[in-house]
Amino acid sequence: MKVTWKLPDGSEIAADVANGTNMMEAAVANNVPEVIGECGGSLACATCHVYVDADWEAATGEIDDFEDAMLDATEAERSDASRLSCQIIAADALDGLVLIVPKA
Amino acid sequence: MTVWNPTDDGYADLSSHDTFEQGAPHNTFARLRREDPLSWTEYAGGENYWSVTRQADILEMNRNTAVFSSARGIRMEDQSYEEYLARRTFQETDAPEHMMTRIKVAKAFSKPVIAKFDDEITKLCDNILDEALSEDSFDATKTIARQLPMQMLGRILGLPEEDLPWLVEKGDALIANTDPDFTDHVLDKMSTDEFRMMPFNSPAGAELFVYAKELMAKKEAAGDTSGILHMIMQEGKDGNTITEEEFRNFFCLLVAAGNDTTRYSIAAGIQAMCHQPELLQQMQSDDIWATAPDEIIRWATPALYFRRTAMQDYEMHGKTIREGDKVLYWWSSGNRDENAFEQPFRVNLARQNNKHVSFGQGGPHVCLGMWLARLEVRVLFQSLAKRLSHIEADGEHKFLRSNFVGGIKSLPVRIKRA
Repeated sequence: MKVTWKLPDGSEIAADVANGTNMMEAAVANNVPEVIGECGGSLACATCHVYVDADWEAATGEIDDFEDAMLDATEAERSDASRLSCQIIAADALDGLVLIVPKA
Repeated sequence: MTVWNPTDDGYADLSSHDTFEQGAPHNTFARLRREDPLSWTEYAGGENYWSVTRQADILEMNRNTAVFSSARGIRMEDQSYEEYLARRTFQETDAPEHMMTRIKVAKAFSKPVIAKFDDEITKLCDNILDEALSEDSFDATKTIARQLPMQMLGRILGLPEEDLPWLVEKGDALIANTDPDFTDHVLDKMSTDEFRMMPFNSPAGAELFVYAKELMAKKEAAGDTSGILHMIMQEGKDGNTITEEEFRNFFCLLVAAGNDTTRYSIAAGIQAMCHQPELLQQMQSDDIWATAPDEIIRWATPALYFRRTAMQDYEMHGKTIREGDKVLYWWSSGNRDENAFEQPFRVNLARQNNKHVSFGQGGPHVCLGMWLARLEVRVLFQSLAKRLSHIEADGEHKFLRSNFVGGIKSLPVRIKRA
């Protein structure tokens, strides 16, 4: 599937990501700044915070209780579009996904 | 741990605390990374273990918590189920239990909450340095590194000022329980049977349990809402509050982990300034502070290893880890891995893309206090560098006797003030 990260400076990074990969791993592999993933995708650090583009919020699924709690620990302010990108897994249904990287 | 010219013969006994009195045995780690990256060691009493020494392997295994459990202990010594139940902290739990505790404390230690303490840390550093640098030569671990973390933790938690020296002492006894300088109950040199059920096998742990319980009651009775303890004690989203047992275990962990890890990062950084004189000037510029704290913490690697236990067989490098085997992730080795770091034995404050593992990165147990540690290290070295025109070693430094915590316990330096 294809994913695009919109960066705070207005630029974009686009990549093809294999199904099953989580969006934190994908971001790190594509050198997306500010998506760090200190806990390796274990839902323990909140350093892979992104905002999901409004068109994609429904497709990226529900937030579970642990993610909900960890989203209170993000650096940039939480919004309704906030997700931890390690919890979004690449799949055909997300082809074209747009993620917005918070300003550090 | 901070050695430029390791002297071990490449076959050091990693299970021996004595080995680490010469600093981490980096010749041994280098040989293992090169020749035997998943290495089996048999040691006394059949308490055998695997050593994992490459950074990439550590990262891969650390996230694989389905196979590698924390719940049977995180140090290489064996631990019975009864002991585990009696003294576990959330370091020694697996999902989902680990996350249940973690989400209760994650916000209090998050980057934006910790960032609010910047001014307070600056003031504390000023006070500590005013006093320490009034002398021309002194022990930098005792007068600088040992002071900041506990004073800061006290402020953050909202503890009474007069309790802090006692807490530093108890924290030392908990973690440095293999060094006779810090405890009367040297773990591997006496029968510690009566302490087996206590947190960190130490009477200090029992004392901290009592202190934590009283503290919580006092704060509640007084309606004291200062510090992040209050935040931790609030009802969570799931409607649960932290239990008394969880709280006192967590408090013990804070005192132990918050006390000496940052201390030894600071000590290692100061020793690095003595060894690489160019660092002082670099620290006096504003350019390197986005990267310098992590490089100092990579260099220091205060937690030398953490242990996991295999819950099923696992194949790697042509070998089979058997269910029940102990596996040690040697952060200390991973942080000197030539395949992960250019010139790993140099301190490069501008190091980019620094994938060190000092905080146990790559897994769910990644250090809760990492933002506080980075902030303390940044502010301390910024403040220190401003005040110095020169710093050098003033005699030999001494390492802690421990294969678990790597640190310079005594660091004589001589300075010239700016």
